[in-house]
Amino acid sequence: MKRAVRPEVIMKLQQQRQHPPPAPESVILSPEIFFFGMIDDWEASAKKQLALYRKPPPPVSKSSLRPNRSLKLRFLSLFSAARQLLRLLSSSQTTKKMRSKRNLNGSDEKDLQKRKESNLVEIEKRIEEAETSSDDSPFVSDFEDSENDDDETLMGGEGSSDESGSQESDLSVSEDEDTFQSRYDDEDDDNAVSPHGDKADEHDNDGVEDNTGGSDDSREIVEESDSSEDEVAPRNTIGDVPLKWYKDEEHIGYDLSGKKIKKKEKKSKLDSFLARTDDAKSWRKIIDEYNDEEVELTKEEINLIRRMMDSKAPHADFDPYPSYIDWFTWDGAKHPLSNAPEPKRRFIPSKWDAKKVVKYVRAIRNGQIKLDDKPKEEPKFYDLWGEASSADRQGLAYIPAPKPKLPGHEESYNPSLEYIPTQEEINAYQLMFEEDRPKFIPKQYTSLRSVPAYEKAVQETFDRCLDLYLCPRVHKKRINIDPESLKPKLPSPRNLKPYPTTCYLEYRGHKGPVVTISAEATGQWLASGSKDGTVRIWEVETGRCLQIWDIGEPINEVEWNPELPILAVAAGQDVFILKTSCGSDEHQKKIEDLLHVQPQVEADDSNTNESIVNWLQDDTHGGIRLKHFKTVTKVEWHRKGDYLSTLMPSGESRSVLVHQLSKKLTQRIPFKTKGIHVASAFHPTRSMFFAATKKDVRVYDLLKQKLVKKLEPGVREISSLAIHPGGDNAIVGSKDGKLCWFDMDLSSKPYKVLRCHGKDITSVAYHRSYPLFVSSSDDCTAYVFHGMVYSDLNQNPLIVPLEILRGHSSFDGRGVMDCKFHPRQPWLFTAGADSLIKLYCH
Amino acid sequence: MGIDDGEGEGEARQVQVRFVTKLQHPYKVQQASISIPANLTRFGLSALVNNLLFTANVNWTTEPFDFLIDGELVRMSLEEFLIAKGISAEKVLEIEYIKAVAPRKQEEPSLHDDWVSAVDGSSDGYILTGCYDGFGRIWKAGGVCTHVLDGHSGSLTSVCNLMPKVDSIADQVVATGSKDRTLRLWEFGEEDTIDQPKKIRSVKILRGHTGAVQSIAGIPSSDMLCSGSWDCTINLWNTSATDTDDSVSVKKRKTGGQDEEALSEGDALTTLVGHTQCVSTVVWPQRETIYSGSWDHSIRRWDVETGKDSFNMSSALIAAGGSDPVLRVWDPRKPGTLSPIFQFSSHNSWISSCKWHNKSWYHLVSASFDGKVMLWDLRTAWPLAVIDTHSDKVLCADWWKGDSVISGGADSKLCISSGVPVL
Repeated sequence: MKRAVRPEVIMKLQQQRQHPPPAPESVILSPEIFFFGMIDDWEASAKKQLALYRKPPPPVSKSSLRPNRSLKLRFLSLFSAARQLLRLLSSSQTTKKMRSKRNLNGSDEKDLQKRKESNLVEIEKRIEEAETSSDDSPFVSDFEDSENDDDETLMGGEGSSDESGSQESDLSVSEDEDTFQSRYDDEDDDNAVSPHGDKADEHDNDGVEDNTGGSDDSREIVEESDSSEDEVAPRNTIGDVPLKWYKDEEHIGYDLSGKKIKKKEKKSKLDSFLARTDDAKSWRKIIDEYNDEEVELTKEEINLIRRMMDSKAPHADFDPYPSYIDWFTWDGAKHPLSNAPEPKRRFIPSKWDAKKVVKYVRAIRNGQIKLDDKPKEEPKFYDLWGEASSADRQGLAYIPAPKPKLPGHEESYNPSLEYIPTQEEINAYQLMFEEDRPKFIPKQYTSLRSVPAYEKAVQETFDRCLDLYLCPRVHKKRINIDPESLKPKLPSPRNLKPYPTTCYLEYRGHKGPVVTISAEATGQWLASGSKDGTVRIWEVETGRCLQIWDIGEPINEVEWNPELPILAVAAGQDVFILKTSCGSDEHQKKIEDLLHVQPQVEADDSNTNESIVNWLQDDTHGGIRLKHFKTVTKVEWHRKGDYLSTLMPSGESRSVLVHQLSKKLTQRIPFKTKGIHVASAFHPTRSMFFAATKKDVRVYDLLKQKLVKKLEPGVREISSLAIHPGGDNAIVGSKDGKLCWFDMDLSSKPYKVLRCHGKDITSVAYHRSYPLFVSSSDDCTAYVFHGMVYSDLNQNPLIVPLEILRGHSSFDGRGVMDCKFHPRQPWLFTAGADSLIKLYCH
Repeated sequence: MGIDDGEGEGEARQVQVRFVTKLQHPYKVQQASISIPANLTRFGLSALVNNLLFTANVNWTTEPFDFLIDGELVRMSLEEFLIAKGISAEKVLEIEYIKAVAPRKQEEPSLHDDWVSAVDGSSDGYILTGCYDGFGRIWKAGGVCTHVLDGHSGSLTSVCNLMPKVDSIADQVVATGSKDRTLRLWEFGEEDTIDQPKKIRSVKILRGHTGAVQSIAGIPSSDMLCSGSWDCTINLWNTSATDTDDSVSVKKRKTGGQDEEALSEGDALTTLVGHTQCVSTVVWPQRETIYSGSWDHSIRRWDVETGKDSFNMSSALIAAGGSDPVLRVWDPRKPGTLSPIFQFSSHNSWISSCKWHNKSWYHLVSASFDGKVMLWDLRTAWPLAVIDTHSDKVLCADWWKGDSVISGGADSKLCISSGVPVL
């Protein structure tokens, strides 16, 4: 029944499947025919096709019909062969059930099977022939002319046979269909289960067994079924073995009855040549080696071969570029999953919905639900890298996490070369401090896969946990300000030279702390008073002590007269006015005169001024002695050298006295004063007087006799006072170490407060010509400042700290007791409690 | 061979040198060039030259030398010096050697009654000193005082020998300036060697300053004197006693009840006004020009003929010390610049005095309040020698006899350091 199918045949069939046989124009193929994968569909469509073919063809002329018909036949034969093959492939080996069935069906079925097989073999053969003929193409071309000539005769000759053949085939196919159908229905399950390999084996066996039946029948059927040689069953029964195995044999297999199928006698060359020359169709004949017979190619086959050789589609009517037919209707192709009719509930409104709506409506009417016209737009995505708005997270002391830096190219696993540090740079990192070192060193990896795990992950996680655990739950506000930016922009001290910097000279000789010093107006002499009760005059240049007075009481103040070389010394309750050996002869004469008119005035003074002060001649020291009733702490000359103010802190209303030297007069300042006076000063140019109490500084106009101004430094206790030579600025030193600069045109409050000394400020001083001022303190230092006062009233004074002068040593808790500038040089004298006077030069 | 060379180099490189000198016979060595290790310092070189001299002359006594290469004193090792100056060590190096300028001997200090404020050694025969006790003194040698100049009522600030060139000590004229605002002229002749110094009186008083006279200077072989004072002026005086006797009336003056004494008084010929502060020093090196330094931080050059100060300095170098420990040297011939060409800053305090050697171009002495007297050579930035005999401020210093340094200070001593071989 079944035969083993040669692989080549299957191959060829598959090829044909890939290039499906062209559809004739008259045939309308359903699209499913292209889906070869779907065998069932394919079969169904094939049935349809067949049904179409069975219809009586439209009356056409024979000549026109002929190719169509032959094509149709060819197609059908191919189709049937393919189907047969597919079935062979897919169907399982014949089960016993099948066999019994076969037995039941009897010989009819067998015949059908055989016919099918023969068809298959026929196709195979034809293809082979086509191939062989194509090989002989030059031969074909030689005889082209003759072919054309013979066309007519061929047509006539073969037309009838083809027609009959086609009818036969129609019948056979229809029979085939039925049988197939029945068989398929029976065996569907088995087919699905059974593997292919077994089937093939069984087929072989079957073939061997079944072929024992009459071979004649098969041949007859073949002859019946198709008049053309296509349908002829192969004579050869050797199977799928190379022909050369049978090369020397005289048979080519055995027929059903076991007889040898003899090879045909080969014609002699001469005979074959003669036969060829006689036969006009000999060029179309080819020898089928397998079956050992001569085959004559039809004209269509020739044409087919020719087209194939021209690389065209084998079929003449095949349109390689057909207009595209859109078989599908694409719009509205909605496929409901269910064909069930829509339920009613889908068409009627929901009762529960209605109830809810009524409820909401009522709530809205009652105002329980307030409709918000604009629903709030919630941001869809969280902006990870956006600015942290702490506004929305101001809960309990929310501390925002430090914002990480955006990753850059250098953090890539394969950064560009310029990001990768060289070895030197890496070595340089090692020399840096731990905190200065870069946290991340870019490294290059060939792939992301080779990037190692982050080595500090554990450490950092631990640190973070530790941070969170130990984090103080206090919100600490920190302001990041560059401390440099807070500093005022000041000129460099180097540009403000000269100013005193270094101590070059020391004036030694005092036995006790030097309380006060004063430089003579020319700058040649320096006077100093000490607690050991002596007043000394020094030569500034060399440090030689020139003159010594032993007063006997601790000296409180010495002051040179600005005009004459006479010295006012305050010691205890007395003020001495001493003449010195300095100065020219004229000066000496003047001094003699000034200090000589003494005895007469004494009486006057005592009478008029209720003996506030006694003017006495002091012969032991050579000068005048002004006897006060309380301890005098300060002495101050007026700039013209005639007036002298003395200050007695405990003198109450008469604490500040002004003496006139030329007339030997004494008067108290005609103002009501409050508090204890600590310092006083004459205005350098105008007739004004400064008197400092412990709390404030009062400025009096001596001519108008009234209070002009009151300066409030706001310090604990004023200790010293100095007036700028311009007269509009003053500095006040306090006992809490603060230095206040007053711009008297500006305000009664200090323009600047300099907090520089750790202990009491003992003395402050301005330089007469250089823009310098100084403050000395009990902490053994003297601060030198640049204090520039501009003539432009809009410009504030410029104060620059220049130098801290150290060198004095502390004695009995006191440090530098007094400081004075040299009147002409930028030099500074400091008097220390260590009984030294130092000269600091530029 | 290579290894040997390397080792040799590692130890000391060799330099080819030739020693030359301008010194006379016993100091000369042969001219042949010799190879010496390059790490030798001045001391090593000195020892080397002494050795060479000793080989030539067995009676040689060791003498320190100083060495000059291209006019620069060697103050480091030869190798460093060559590298610092960029001199090739391939060539034969010519090293000139001179006698090291350093005092060989400290003579007995001459004690005064008070601070020694001024000293003048311009005459080889004697030293003139001024003292804070108001007396001037003439010293023959260390500790031998021959004359006391008695007359000033204030301490002396400056002294000046008006006739240094006169060899005979017979009639010497000296001038002194004092804080009593006067200058006095003194004459003294040769004195018999007696135990007590002879007190002499001044022959002339020059009055005119209103402030203390700070400095006086006379021009050699002339009868002119100039003085700077605290009254910011410089006065020029005529010193010839005979002329002024006629012109100026002779006044009789009583001094402390002693016998009457004829004193001629002189007035200032002219006054140079310009300084704004104390004129602390005046120098009169040439007939036409006076240089003055002042506390107003300026040095001025005065033309004597016109009495004007001019800045077109055209003579030699000026050296000055001020109220800082830097000794500065200006070259007034250099146009356009007023910055000093040399600054010697080895002192620690004010420089009170400085003086050029009167024969050598290079040598300079300076005294400072830090108690040191230093000898300087323009060819090196380091002091040649530091004389540290004073125990207090040194107020004045001068050269004497060409080979001694004399200095007076606040310890009332006049120190004489002799044996300084400048030339």
